[in-house]
Amino acid sequence: MDNQTQTRNAMTPTNTAGEDGLRIDQLSVLRGMALVISKLSFRQQAGEICCLTGPNGAGKSTLLRTIAGRLSAAEGTITCSVPLVYVGHTDGLSGAITGRENLVGWAKVNGLLAPESDIDTALAGFAANRFSDLPVRVLSRGQRRRLALARLALAPSNSLWLLDEPNAGLDRASNDSLDQLVTGHADRGGMVMAATHLDFAAAATPRSLHLAGIMPETSSASAQGKIG
Amino acid sequence: MSPFLAQIERDLMIAWQNRQDLGVMLIFFVIIIALFPLAIGANSAILDPLGIQVVWIAALLAILAGFDRLFAQDVRDGWLDQVSLSPLGLGWYALAKAISHWLTAGLPLLIMTPVMAIMLNIPTIQWPPLLIALLIGSMGLTLLGVIGAALAEGARRGGALMALLILPLAVPLLIFGTLASQSEDGIISPHLMLLGAVFAVLLALAPLVAASALEIGETETGL
Repeated sequence: MDNQTQTRNAMTPTNTAGEDGLRIDQLSVLRGMALVISKLSFRQQAGEICCLTGPNGAGKSTLLRTIAGRLSAAEGTITCSVPLVYVGHTDGLSGAITGRENLVGWAKVNGLLAPESDIDTALAGFAANRFSDLPVRVLSRGQRRRLALARLALAPSNSLWLLDEPNAGLDRASNDSLDQLVTGHADRGGMVMAATHLDFAAAATPRSLHLAGIMPETSSASAQGKIG
Repeated sequence: MSPFLAQIERDLMIAWQNRQDLGVMLIFFVIIIALFPLAIGANSAILDPLGIQVVWIAALLAILAGFDRLFAQDVRDGWLDQVSLSPLGLGWYALAKAISHWLTAGLPLLIMTPVMAIMLNIPTIQWPPLLIALLIGSMGLTLLGVIGAALAEGARRGGALMALLILPLAVPLLIFGTLASQSEDGIISPHLMLLGAVFAVLLALAPLVAASALEIGETETGL
């Protein structure tokens, strides 16, 4: 926790002279008393797409949340100097207000200049205009996901996207839109890290980082070792 | 528009959609006040001097009762994740929540107070000190509630207990508030100044305490 030198950035584009990728060094993360990620080192350069693969419980979501700063590392460091955009299992949408209001609110809270035309384009990317003026609580799981993913179109071009199962529950058309958005982002020098069990941005031949998970016996032994 | 104002705007929009909650809070306030005379009996010699205290107790309970879900919805929706990555930061976020909650709970209660004052037969000369003290007191209570709600969110289990632990901290606000409301020599009494001092301390501390409570609740290392 103490030696974590993670920089959590404002969403405003920053001057990224020098290191503009993601560096993970010897990262270990505990969930409860169980060691979920052990001594993971990884580099990602600007313009790269990385797919996290591995069985359920292997630590894919944990890794994404740790990079996003929502979980703290037991040891090791994460260095990332670009803005982060996180789309996790929870979509970050309020059910009481409309999809458009949610999206505009997100852009404003992140200090992004989002004129009406940009909002329209972002929504149109996932064919979400049709239901963006309805309260989110009446929308289906897939429709909410599309609204959450529409944020990505507003994100700064150098940002690192952390996507947790982004294509779960998406229809084929939205899946293609997501692939296009992700590929375009990488072409402009952005980074994407996605945990997924499905085909993801196959055209861009993403790198793959396989998390095998840790056997329970080892985990309890090493977890105790860490704490003691 | 700054991220801070954008967060307040978002909360006000959500509060407007859930406006029946506001009605419940106001009815709660009125019912507490209406119950006192029923319990004490129709003896105006006992009831008359108690009006201001009754308003304060009712305001305190009504304001603090509305806090259990202040952060819960944002945590469940994943909005807290989005805020923590934004330039807004959790401290300003907590302050924005306090302001929007006061605007939707504290302010309507304050507007309701003159009606209650008539009901309790509080002399009109007492209204200005009562309303000024209640204005500052309700803002202070809102900040306390934000601390309690953030702690409850961090604790997950035993959330209600955490909220109860906050109640004793409301005692200074209650004491100085009721004394300032009964001031007979002008509105600006020493008690009002002390009430203001308690509010100022809370204004400085509450966003920081709430932010670190929300952070701890999220990180859950080694627990």
